[in-house]
Amino acid sequence: MTKKILVVDDEPDVRNTVKTVLEKNGFEVISAISADDGFKKWQVEKPDLVLMDIMMPGTPVKDVIPKMKGTKVAYLSVVRTSEAEKEDLMRSKNIVDFIQKPFDINELVKKVKKLAGA
Amino acid sequence: MAQDLKKELASNQTVLLLMPGTEYNEIIVDVLKKLSGNICYITLNKTYDSLIELFKKKKINTENIVFIDAISKTIKNVPDQGDGVYYVSSPGAMTELSLTIEKFIRHKFDYLIFDSLTNLLIYESKAPVSKFVSSLVNKIKQGKTKAIFYALSVKEQETLIKESGMFVDKVIDLDK
Repeated sequence: MTKKILVVDDEPDVRNTVKTVLEKNGFEVISAISADDGFKKWQVEKPDLVLMDIMMPGTPVKDVIPKMKGTKVAYLSVVRTSEAEKEDLMRSKNIVDFIQKPFDINELVKKVKKLAGA
Repeated sequence: MAQDLKKELASNQTVLLLMPGTEYNEIIVDVLKKLSGNICYITLNKTYDSLIELFKKKKINTENIVFIDAISKTIKNVPDQGDGVYYVSSPGAMTELSLTIEKFIRHKFDYLIFDSLTNLLIYESKAPVSKFVSSLVNKIKQGKTKAIFYALSVKEQETLIKESGMFVDKVIDLDK
């Protein structure tokens, strides 16, 4: 079964690149431009994995992720955090990875395959 | 590089430092190693904890640095202030950020480091950011604190960089 990925990022370049590459690798990809938009689409689409930019205008990501109960979320982060902070963030129930930007697109595909169970 | 910056700061109160993303961490460490005195460090892209981790690793004494962290509150729950750090809601909370910086400028720091202008544009459009920079530079100029504004040398933000360049005394482009 095709796995569904929700990409939430305010940067159009990141959204488009990730969408194109993941679709080429057989995923169905939905994209959203903010945490709020991402939550709305999550409610309708029920994706297998959410790739969520950590730093976006609007509602803070940390307030939206707990609402996405039962869905794996991987952070895409341009923000530099300490190792301890990373561990703390990963302790949230549905956070499964912390992917530092800029990322290698092939590495991202590998990670998404593993995380989404494709 | 940092030696040049020190020289420029001797004759200019405000400097915009344009840097390539690939050498960002090396440059911010290099700058801090060269500056002596009290420093107010405003961070919009690295959490206070990550900066402390980086500076400790590079053996930089942080006792003379007070941090204004505008990013941690967007990713985790933190109080309004900690030991040597003040937290602002988000880089987009420009009024709050401006008021917090203003309080610190009054304390007559030797240096203010703004890291970085590039990140403000994630949250706000060019016009308010430009207004923020101009107003901040004016406030700095009322005192003696020397200010260094960091920005990534990226094409997408060329206009803001050019405009900010008009407000500061000197622009140093490390990408050239």
